[in-house]
Amino acid sequence: MSNDPDKVWPTGLNLREAEEVHSYLIDGTRVFGVIALIAHLLVAVTTPWLG
Amino acid sequence: MFDYKRFALGRIASFGTRYMPFADVASEAVPLSRLLRLALFQVTVGMALVLMVGTLNRVMIVELRVPASLVAVMLALPLVFAPFRALIGFRSDTFRSALGLRRLPYIWKGTMLQFGGFAIMPFALLVLSGYGEAVDAPRWIGLSAAALSFLLVGAGVHMVQTVGLALATDLVAEADQPRVVGLMYVMLLVGMIVSAFAYGALLETYTPGRLIQVIQGSAVLTVAINGIAMWKQEARNRSRATAPVQEFSFLDSWARLAGRTGMIRLLAVIGLGTAGFGMADVLLEPFGGQVLAMTVAQTTRLTVVLALGSLLGFGLASRWLGRGGRAMDAVCLGAVIGIPAFGLVLASALILSAPLLVAATLLAGFGAGLFGHGTLTATMRAAPREQIGLSLGAWGAVQATAAGLAIATGGVIRDLVLAAPAGGTTAASPYVPVFALEGGLLFLAVLVALPLRRGGLATAFGPARAGAADDTGTDCGLAAPGP
Repeated sequence: MSNDPDKVWPTGLNLREAEEVHSYLIDGTRVFGVIALIAHLLVAVTTPWLG
Repeated sequence: MFDYKRFALGRIASFGTRYMPFADVASEAVPLSRLLRLALFQVTVGMALVLMVGTLNRVMIVELRVPASLVAVMLALPLVFAPFRALIGFRSDTFRSALGLRRLPYIWKGTMLQFGGFAIMPFALLVLSGYGEAVDAPRWIGLSAAALSFLLVGAGVHMVQTVGLALATDLVAEADQPRVVGLMYVMLLVGMIVSAFAYGALLETYTPGRLIQVIQGSAVLTVAINGIAMWKQEARNRSRATAPVQEFSFLDSWARLAGRTGMIRLLAVIGLGTAGFGMADVLLEPFGGQVLAMTVAQTTRLTVVLALGSLLGFGLASRWLGRGGRAMDAVCLGAVIGIPAFGLVLASALILSAPLLVAATLLAGFGAGLFGHGTLTATMRAAPREQIGLSLGAWGAVQATAAGLAIATGGVIRDLVLAAPAGGTTAASPYVPVFALEGGLLFLAVLVALPLRRGGLATAFGPARAGAADDTGTDCGLAAPGP
């Protein structure tokens, strides 16, 4: 169907656009991961689990 | 054989951009409902401000027993980021995106920072106050975690507000900008008032669990509301996405903006006036309580009256400037109204009249509303389209820094006079120098603003910039090669 080599099937985005969308996903995951890690550490300091 | 590829593509094509977070086209006329939705980001900004400056201020000192000076330092931390608003605005002006977006990524990043800060804030505060097992934890953990959470929220708020305002300016025609400015201010006030009542009700019976629920609830609400606010607001700009890379340093861009006639002067007016009006924000309530012996309910009403006055000011300024008034006229009138307002505040201390203080507060709020609206509209009108982000960033940087410094200075002056041996002669004496200083600052603001009003310069901040001499050369802004 879409024979444009630059288009990423099936989104209709080209490679640069797709990579940018992906970068937002990756960045978001990293930030949320770090935040969750810090939050867990702080909770562990106040009410320690795992002994 | 069933052509699944054709089927899927057909479905996706019919899907259209209905479920995509960007707008179809940059339409000329943006309906009010869409602007109202965009203005929701100001609600989360107001929410964050009230939570930090109002609610947590009290909770940290009263319930968590954190020393007041440490609380003050923590709450002042986000101010560190205020000057960076200009940089954020510049970056959003020149953001390189294959998708052709420039504001949305920054609003999203700001929202994430705000969310992240709120997500760790309750635990950071509990560790800081030594709750549970945290008594034995080293002190630096609580300190650095609390500082980090406040920094994250502060940075997020600065980012969301700067870039959100820039996006709003992008969306509307120049004639409609006063309406947008009014809308943004009103939404900020609405967010602050609603969340102040909500936080008050939610934290009536304080428990650590409730604190966690309330702050993390705010985090989720922030992402949800900002998501609704920015959905489908910015159109993808293909020409911007494919335009050749132009490298402009921040300093080049800043020099270009600062070189525009009246820009630096306008920023000075904003700083002086905001400091003048801002000093009263935190001192009116204790003034009413200590000098005029008003009850807590009455002093709270004082804050409501101040907000009401501001609303009136925004409303009048929106109508006035929307009908072609000059922004600097509103700025001057606002500052001029503020001077007698603070005079009346002092007079109310002399004759011990609470109604006079209420009237003065209403007047001060009205002046502040006019002044705030006027300066923001002037900032929007003063910048070329390519530099809206930088210009609004500069506005935010000056405004937030001036307000923060003013609040701190007001508190310090009051405490210094109280501590001086001859200081506490009457209940009013600690407040007199502060309110007098406010009047003085506003007077200075008027003096600096007057040349902007006079002569041809004023047209730069009027609705139609066509006749302004300084427009012809620099309006191409970033498109022109750097100096």
